[in-house]
Amino acid sequence: MKKIIIVLLMLLAFGCSKKYTAPGQLTVEGDQSAPQKTMTTSPMEKEMVEEMSFGHEADVSETALSLEEQAAQVFRDIHFDFDRYDIMPEARPVLDEVASFLNQNKVLSIVITGHCDERGTNEYNLALGEKRSNAARSYLESQGVSSSRITAVTYGEETPVCTEHNEACWYQNRRAHFILSK
Amino acid sequence: MKKITYNTKTYTKFITSLLLIIMLLICVDIADAKIYIDIASPGIRQLPIKIITTGDVKGFDLEKIIKSDLKFTGLIQFVDPDISGAEIVVTADVAIGSELTVVLSIQDLVAGKEVLKTRYVTKKGNIRVMGHRAADAIYQIATGQKGVFRTKLTYLAAAMSGKKALRIMDWDGFKSQKLVSRGLISSHSWSMDAKHLFYSAERRRQWKIYSLDLQKSKEAVLFSSKGLNIVGGTSPGGLIAFSSSKDGSSEIYTTDIKSSRTRKLTKAFGIDVSPVFSPDGTKIAFVSDRGGTPQLYIMRADGSNLRRLTYEGNYNTSPAWAPNGKWLSYSSRTNGKNQVFMVKSDGKDLRQLTFDGNNESPSFSPDGMFLAFDSDRDGEKGIYIMRANGEEQKRITPSYMKAWSPKWSPYLY
Repeated sequence: MKKIIIVLLMLLAFGCSKKYTAPGQLTVEGDQSAPQKTMTTSPMEKEMVEEMSFGHEADVSETALSLEEQAAQVFRDIHFDFDRYDIMPEARPVLDEVASFLNQNKVLSIVITGHCDERGTNEYNLALGEKRSNAARSYLESQGVSSSRITAVTYGEETPVCTEHNEACWYQNRRAHFILSK
Repeated sequence: MKKITYNTKTYTKFITSLLLIIMLLICVDIADAKIYIDIASPGIRQLPIKIITTGDVKGFDLEKIIKSDLKFTGLIQFVDPDISGAEIVVTADVAIGSELTVVLSIQDLVAGKEVLKTRYVTKKGNIRVMGHRAADAIYQIATGQKGVFRTKLTYLAAAMSGKKALRIMDWDGFKSQKLVSRGLISSHSWSMDAKHLFYSAERRRQWKIYSLDLQKSKEAVLFSSKGLNIVGGTSPGGLIAFSSSKDGSSEIYTTDIKSSRTRKLTKAFGIDVSPVFSPDGTKIAFVSDRGGTPQLYIMRADGSNLRRLTYEGNYNTSPAWAPNGKWLSYSSRTNGKNQVFMVKSDGKDLRQLTFDGNNESPSFSPDGMFLAFDSDRDGEKGIYIMRANGEEQKRITPSYMKAWSPKWSPYLY
């Protein structure tokens, strides 16, 4: 308690501009482990630094997101039911966004990869993954994206994003995935 | 003095399993030699054999290989050398110099005569090949049939890095070797003469069918088109069946290995995949989801006379045709897991062979006595073999290795 009082006295002695000193700061400065240090880096010094840097503050420059970065935001995976390849209602907004992005950026081409969960058998899953990538492709085509800009390929169950054996994981793996093609 | 007693339970079990083996048997023409166990007769029993190895200490390893091979058939019973009761005595005299030599002698104790005496020579380190060679010789004499102990299995496996490769190993899982690892490799199949392997691989986002010359280790593109191309079975007439989505939807095709003449056999909106020929080449079984769920269908090799084979369950895939043409094995989803099933080609006599974990991708041994398949019952997917009646299920790939899709080779010798 005595020390806190000493610190308070010291602060008073050091300067008058410390009106904003908050109670929280007080307790920090009253930390018994490093009372000396707190004093030397006292708010006055900080204020000076701030004043000096003010004149040199850099302006905010602006750069548009690269197409890759924009694509990364638009290209979200769409998911499917077990052993199905029809586009689910919740996948439509994602596909619409992908389509409008591609329609705005006609220089871009994409690859759609089709995937399955581990529960099916490998060979059948390859065919199923192809159906999924083709379903996504057809949807984009129906939204005006030229078929020449889309490559569809299946990976069946061979490249999972999640390797646990539960429905949450299987759901993630039953997907069509979009990649910008170089 | 020969006397074999069975308790009734074992006996009944044995009889049932034998009935199945008999049904699976290929009709072989039996020479005038005596058949000790006629696996085509209903009264089949295990043949008691005594095996004695002499000479080099490596003989111990050789004996283990021979016994392991023959025991797996369930047809032979090994009798301790010190106990009487054997009908056949096998002696293997092992010598290792610059080469490995085994003088094999097989004696019929009942008839009191030697039925085989021969010398096998191979490279010094070839103890496993020698063991399988001797087992084949003993099996041939005991059953009059050709053994499969020198056949191989190809399969897919993931290395520690996750990189997948097409590999080959002995029928008992030993001597595993990498064949191809470029790209993502999927289905594969043996040519009838066992000189080529056909497989599908994805490289640069293209699924093509490749052919590997096993003697020259040379790869060539066999079929290439846009879409997904997956190789299926081969026919004795030199045709390869495959599925391709070159026209949009996955359909069944055949192509002639020599002339490359390709024929489209199906036309349906959905998935048609995994075609396999009947052993005589006249029919093709395949998987189609035209009925709403994946089911097995059979048609003539020209695409005519289509009929549905499976009605039980809503996920039937991976057909394999037994060498005798009468049975098919496949995997069927039941209670949320894939299991290996067998059914007659007319759709009758459906039976489930596996029950534990997921069991997929059955493939018959060339004599129809065994099936290879993959299973995750012990954790990581691995390759298993069993008798075609479901007995003696055994993992043959290491527990740490993820392995799947085995394909049993034809006879190699």
